[in-house]
Amino acid sequence: MARVITRSVLSLVLAAFVGSMIVFGLLRSIGGNVAHVILGQYATPGALEALQEELGLNAPWYVQYFSWLGGVFTGDLGTSYSARFDIFDEILRRLGPTTLLAFGSLLISIPAALALGTYSAIQVKKLRGGVIDVASQIGIAIPAFWAGLIMVLVFGIRLGWFPTGGYISPFEDLVEAVKGLVLPTLALSLGITSVLTRYVRSAMLDVMGEDFIRTAMAKGRTRRGAARVHGVRNASVSLVTVGTLQLGALMAGTVVIENVFVIPGIGRLLVTSVLGREVIVVQSLILVILLMILVMNFLMDIAYVLIDPRIRDSQGGKAVA
Amino acid sequence: MLDERARSRPPVWRRVLRLPLPLIIGGALVGSFLFIALLSYVWTPHDPLKLVVADRLLPPGSDRYVFGTDKFGRDVLSQLMAGARNSLYVSLLSTFVAIVVGALLGLLTAGAGPFWRNVLSRLIDVGVALPGILIALVLATSTGPGNQAAIVAITFWFIPIAARVTIGPARQILALDYVEAAYAYGRTKWYVLLHHVTPNIAPLLIVLGSVMFAAAILIEAALAFLGIGAQPPTASWGRLLQESQPLLEAAPTLMFFPGVAIVLTVLGFNLLGDGLRTILDPQQASRSGLI
Repeated sequence: MARVITRSVLSLVLAAFVGSMIVFGLLRSIGGNVAHVILGQYATPGALEALQEELGLNAPWYVQYFSWLGGVFTGDLGTSYSARFDIFDEILRRLGPTTLLAFGSLLISIPAALALGTYSAIQVKKLRGGVIDVASQIGIAIPAFWAGLIMVLVFGIRLGWFPTGGYISPFEDLVEAVKGLVLPTLALSLGITSVLTRYVRSAMLDVMGEDFIRTAMAKGRTRRGAARVHGVRNASVSLVTVGTLQLGALMAGTVVIENVFVIPGIGRLLVTSVLGREVIVVQSLILVILLMILVMNFLMDIAYVLIDPRIRDSQGGKAVA
Repeated sequence: MLDERARSRPPVWRRVLRLPLPLIIGGALVGSFLFIALLSYVWTPHDPLKLVVADRLLPPGSDRYVFGTDKFGRDVLSQLMAGARNSLYVSLLSTFVAIVVGALLGLLTAGAGPFWRNVLSRLIDVGVALPGILIALVLATSTGPGNQAAIVAITFWFIPIAARVTIGPARQILALDYVEAAYAYGRTKWYVLLHHVTPNIAPLLIVLGSVMFAAAILIEAALAFLGIGAQPPTASWGRLLQESQPLLEAAPTLMFFPGVAIVLTVLGFNLLGDGLRTILDPQQASRSGLI
């Protein structure tokens, strides 16, 4: 187990390093001169010169890259050009809402997909199974922001059960904070739950054809019991694999949903910074989102090992070549 | 003899009904989408951009405006049709380029020697792992918002995926006997890749294209909704939804129609992909009765 964790941590650090290089490289190579992008095409040479000096753009690229990377650890990522906020402090302030939203919908999506997918696989020839199948197909086609708008209209404006937007920290008022997060989290979970449900369903259908299910049934288990005891665990392994591939979509959804519900998180700042051409801010925000994806990936790696004893034993017990 | 064959074959509608259900529904939805998008080039009920202040915020079913009007008095139906056109334009261009470039990259990787195959494969894996939305946002920061940013972003997002999907099947085919025979006959590697491998993976690429098209429509709408994609006055489903948000209470139908259009179109392309997978996959094909 310890070995697996060490390996996951190492690959997390490596991936974060490579990711930071790609983000830096893309922004510098595609965008061209950073000062030019920030100031727009009508900037005077004097202003360009001054901004280049301020942002340290005259130094060679590797000096710029490592001073940016160093800033991640020392807490100095510079200042936003037009809004003049300290980028590091601002990111810290906005990390809370985004984390709650992303992890919250992951916590809803995975169990929901497991339950729905298993159920529709067991009921594959019946109407109820078919309904889930069709519903998940439609769920994939619904854009998260449209789901959000409908929920705001129905549960926020018409019924008045939940606030239509905004964010309250759970440290201030726990009840109001949870109430505010219900609609955005559900809107975000809809698409991911639908995708995962389809994977669980087909994984379960595969598993139910395996010999060990027949053996379990021969030993007196019902089909449903065999599915619950042996099937779900096996299907969970493929759910975790597919789940890690959905993390990018989850963060993309978070960015959109924060903008629908006016939640002051990373995603909202990212969109305003992109529209304001704040290259320096965008660079750090994208790194933060990448790090969040990697951390969730890491947690899923751990879950993988916990679910599947074959991996646990082969890597934890005996030495791996 | 021709007569005999014509008589023994069931009528067309019967053969269509024997196709898998997802293919029929998906085909119908995609067909309507394409028809509406193309029709909007030559005809819309009103000029989608014409402002008629006197007819502001009319409800659906009003005289002359089937789906009502927006806050500037523009006809919603016409805007939806023009939005279909924009979705078609952005998604078609980005999906097509991504599949052509991605498949070529995949073929190149599959056909390369062990060293380059490993290097290219790893690079493609990194590309697949990178969250596409982040690349899209990076691009939009540098190039500025607009349809162009959306097209470039979706294309770059899809290229590694198309390459990844191509590599495996292409390598399987390269290991077959007739490929060796072709080499023995003196064919070059690129000849084999283009004349023997490509036709065999074409069904796969068609299915991939349908599924990617669905994803591209969703991404285009999301980028336009965030203000990063299509800019005013270009009509786009995502932008219509963005404009509808402040009027959610006063005119909820403005939010309703563009969303339904997105869902039906995306659903259509996904179902079409599923259906094509069933009939193009030789093992399941015999059951469909088409081939």
